Amino acid sequence: MLRNALRKDLLLNARHLWGIVPWFLWVAYAMTEPDAGRITAVGAAFIGSLMATTIGAREDKLRTTATLASLPVSRGTLVEARYLVAYIVGAATYLIVVVMAAGLPWSVQRAAELCELKTLLLTLTLASAAIAVLMPVVIRFGLLGVLVFLGVFQLLGVGLMVAFEFFGSRSSVGVFSAIERGIAALHAGLEQPVVILETLAIVGLAIWLSFRLSVFLAKRRDL
Amino acid sequence: MSGAHAIELRGVRKSYPGFMLKDVSFTLPSGVIGGLIGPNGSGKTTVIKLIMNLVRREAGEIRVFGLDNQSAEIEVKSRIGFVYDVPGYWDDQSLDSQRRALGAFYPRWSDETFRRLAGEFGLPLDKKYKALSHGAKTKFALAMALSHGADLLIMDEPTAGLDPIFRRDLLKRMSALLQEEGKTILFSTHITSDLERVADVITFIRAGEVVFSLTRDELLDGWAIVRGDDRVVRELDPRLVMGVRRRPFGVEALVSDGDAVRRAVGGRAVVDRVTLDDVMVLMSGEVRHAA
Repeated sequence: MLRNALRKDLLLNARHLWGIVPWFLWVAYAMTEPDAGRITAVGAAFIGSLMATTIGAREDKLRTTATLASLPVSRGTLVEARYLVAYIVGAATYLIVVVMAAGLPWSVQRAAELCELKTLLLTLTLASAAIAVLMPVVIRFGLLGVLVFLGVFQLLGVGLMVAFEFFGSRSSVGVFSAIERGIAALHAGLEQPVVILETLAIVGLAIWLSFRLSVFLAKRRDL
Repeated sequence: MSGAHAIELRGVRKSYPGFMLKDVSFTLPSGVIGGLIGPNGSGKTTVIKLIMNLVRREAGEIRVFGLDNQSAEIEVKSRIGFVYDVPGYWDDQSLDSQRRALGAFYPRWSDETFRRLAGEFGLPLDKKYKALSHGAKTKFALAMALSHGADLLIMDEPTAGLDPIFRRDLLKRMSALLQEEGKTILFSTHITSDLERVADVITFIRAGEVVFSLTRDELLDGWAIVRGDDRVVRELDPRLVMGVRRRPFGVEALVSDGDAVRRAVGGRAVVDRVTLDDVMVLMSGEVRHAA
């Protein structure tokens, strides 16, 4: 049944996933920049996973969520497929960027660098964070949930910028550079076995909790 | 609960803000066509959704072929063909893609049956779903529901928005499914003539409550409509009066025992056979009840 659910997600929502394509144009351009290739590769997997996570929002809009719930498959299996699809799409997106790095004549990004364990783990961590946070929202609230979620983040960002501009000693740029520094520090740390194990444990726990929450919400949802 | 019933609901409850389904109980025997009728917002769709476990019940028990519809959900759903009032499919995908993706979930799915039905319904399998008319969308949903050897067909307002020719064809097909393959069908509708044509059992829901669940013969032969003056209607046994409507030249009363009322009123009032239209109108919300 999981195989059928996976196949259904990939077959019937292929058009939705084409929304990732414009990102590859950006990737193609970024390959000319010495330091941008790695960031865009991680970003591609992140965006790919996010796009796949929002399949549920699209299906809500099309009213197919109820059609799916009328099939002889448990809601838990449908949710499981959603998580797997998000990882599959994220991995496929990353792979395409690696191929682009290797194949584009103007690329200054070495494909081998993108295949380093620490870069792969960072990608896994960021994509998992996106999936873990967004998936329960999509499953419980559908399209409206995605819009509210993104809206809240947007407002939070604007609020932070305003707060720092008027009341803080640092500029808003400091917030974003702090995030960037944090990601860079994690990337550097992922060479150490302890950090790798800790990161994997946290990622695993976050995804497990997110999955259990999503299944719980899916089962309770009236369609 | 008996295994001879295709559907059994006992004391089922579900509430939404401003609406409550109150202890709904009725059964639908195997091998019959059951019709759910009632005014708008009476709870017909909620009952169907509860049977399909699309919404969670708050109390009560729902069994399909003797199986609990929640604990044996997968087995139950593999035996049900379901047509939603507004079928939801993937707009940008061809009918054939949807057949491939969704048919795989059913253990008894038959491509041959699907193709035959698609041909009979004139469905273009290479066309995208969004290119279909409302009627064609319902036909597609019906073809999907009929292609996996379902023992029970549940349809929410399947004839709404269909042209009269296909509506008649659909009803004929429903009767044929019953007679030739022994299937059970439950459908909700506002179109009482559809029910009169095919339904064996009629369940009337009003304001979240089942008012009656009777065979068509019990209803149409047993119940009656009394037309006379106010005084005659007031004299009727209140337990038999199901609804009253005041007209410019008298009163109409719906009664649940036509023979008893005929004997009681003698020649002082006209006692006619009921139609489902009479039942719908006289039992709808705006009617003042005598009882």
